[in-house]
Amino acid sequence: MRLFLNGFLFQLRLSRRSPDTFLVCVTAPLLTTVFLSINAYTGRHELTSYAVVAPTLMSLWALALSVAGSALTEDRDLGTLEGQIAAPAPMALTFLGRMCSVVVVGSMAFAETWLVAGALFGRWIALPHPVVSVACLLATALATAGTAGLLSPLFVLTPSARTLQNTLTFPFYLLGGVLVPVSVLPQWLRPASYTVFLSWSADLLRDSLATDPVSRPALRLLAVLALGAAGYGMGMLLLHRVVLRVRRTGTLTRT
Amino acid sequence: MTAAVHTRGLTRAYAGRKTDRGRDHLALDSFDLRVEEGEVHGLLGPNGAGKTTLCRILSTVLLPTGGTAEVLGHDVRTEADVVRRTVGIVFGGERGLYGRLTPRQNLRFWGALYGLGGKELRRRTDALLERTGLGGRADDRVDTMSRGMKQRVHIARGLITDPPVLILDEPTNGMDPVAAHDFRAMITELRTDGRTVLLTTHDMGEAEALCDRVTLVDRGRVIATETTDSVGALLARHDRIDATDVPPEVVTALRALPGTESVTPLGGDSIRVVTADADTVGEVLRLLVASGVTRVTTAPPGLEEVYLGLIGRQGMRVRP
Repeated sequence: MRLFLNGFLFQLRLSRRSPDTFLVCVTAPLLTTVFLSINAYTGRHELTSYAVVAPTLMSLWALALSVAGSALTEDRDLGTLEGQIAAPAPMALTFLGRMCSVVVVGSMAFAETWLVAGALFGRWIALPHPVVSVACLLATALATAGTAGLLSPLFVLTPSARTLQNTLTFPFYLLGGVLVPVSVLPQWLRPASYTVFLSWSADLLRDSLATDPVSRPALRLLAVLALGAAGYGMGMLLLHRVVLRVRRTGTLTRT
Repeated sequence: MTAAVHTRGLTRAYAGRKTDRGRDHLALDSFDLRVEEGEVHGLLGPNGAGKTTLCRILSTVLLPTGGTAEVLGHDVRTEADVVRRTVGIVFGGERGLYGRLTPRQNLRFWGALYGLGGKELRRRTDALLERTGLGGRADDRVDTMSRGMKQRVHIARGLITDPPVLILDEPTNGMDPVAAHDFRAMITELRTDGRTVLLTTHDMGEAEALCDRVTLVDRGRVIATETTDSVGALLARHDRIDATDVPPEVVTALRALPGTESVTPLGGDSIRVVTADADTVGEVLRLLVASGVTRVTTAPPGLEEVYLGLIGRQGMRVRP
């Protein structure tokens, strides 16, 4: 727990001095405005929840991608990765703490989008299932942090990390049912969607904003958490192998 | 008695880097070293000699490809976790710190990675900040600090866990003379703590001032390990003789002596003769006195001359 907290506070301190982290606090309201404007123009007011959920999840995912993409590579460039490998603490827990700190910032996007919808467009969205909504946001944040654990060592291994980072944004928003529900995607694509935690999060979050009863919320929350945990597990295994490899090949300081 | 650091036949090959003969580049080649507990030991060698590779292996960041390396009896390969708790590593230069954080925040982060926390971590952080003279700037960002101040943060980071073995990899590299002087005073303090310090450097003065023993390394091999005082004896035959008002024909005669290694002008009519064996010293002196040269001084070689004599006058050339 101490290592987790150490990572959490460390990343929070770094974030305070890195405006990039808070960029989502600007982009989320902007995206909400764009989506709600389209929404208003087409007269599809029943899709308001989509316009609120999408920027929230997009912000979380984009922030996790950005920080996960840079965390290890930056440490490598700064020479601090050497120090971390030379320390007895397992990197996995510190790293999870760091990513959780990032998603806390990303989760603020939900409050922003909700406020934008109400204050600018007069569409104050009710929270008929507040427990499910909050639980879904928390589970999504955890799953995002976990999945970031998979992405980070992947970026270290990939020579063109920036390109990979870019390809993991909009395709994932579509595959994850963030922009449109998975049910409208082609039949052959849907199984792939269900392996992405975002698809479960997006559906559950939208359902929690509707007045109808939410179907099997616990099971769906579990799916979000399980997929996030699987990503984290694979990521830490990958990280372990990456560290072992650079110790063996002596390529740690090479960029 | 267990050595603080003990390597036997330690070898590190880099498969991706080939020598001219197409073999794997050997950064360390059957490297044998023994550093006793409480000793300040210097590793002297030119760039590319293998000093940093050794530091990386001892701090478990790099795996050896052959031989063994132990820290206080623990193998760096099979007991890496124990070794990591035993060794404090200080990498030289700008790398290794989070510039956007303050020294205090850096120390707390690194301390927690070694299992420290709460009051103990705060106490050690405060004590180290004071000890390294960073108390007044403990809450300034590291990237606003001078090279010397950053190096102090490095040292504090290396000491945060109070390790019995401290490895300093070129710690004064790029430091201004004042900062380097302060740093040396700090190392002298560490010696009185009874800590083992392994210091890599290519600064002879630093090694002479700080170390109990030095190991001269080149091309990944140990050339010699001696006490700092007696290492000059290794090249006793390389005695130097400085003489003034030496006639040109005598200079020519000195150069012609079989045991003369070099005759170097020192400016004006002064020259420095470096001999290749002890017998030649007498011959040089006889020749000088016979020629009426009376202003003659002899001196044992400085560590720098020993170093250059043993490794060769290759200056700062980096090994391929």
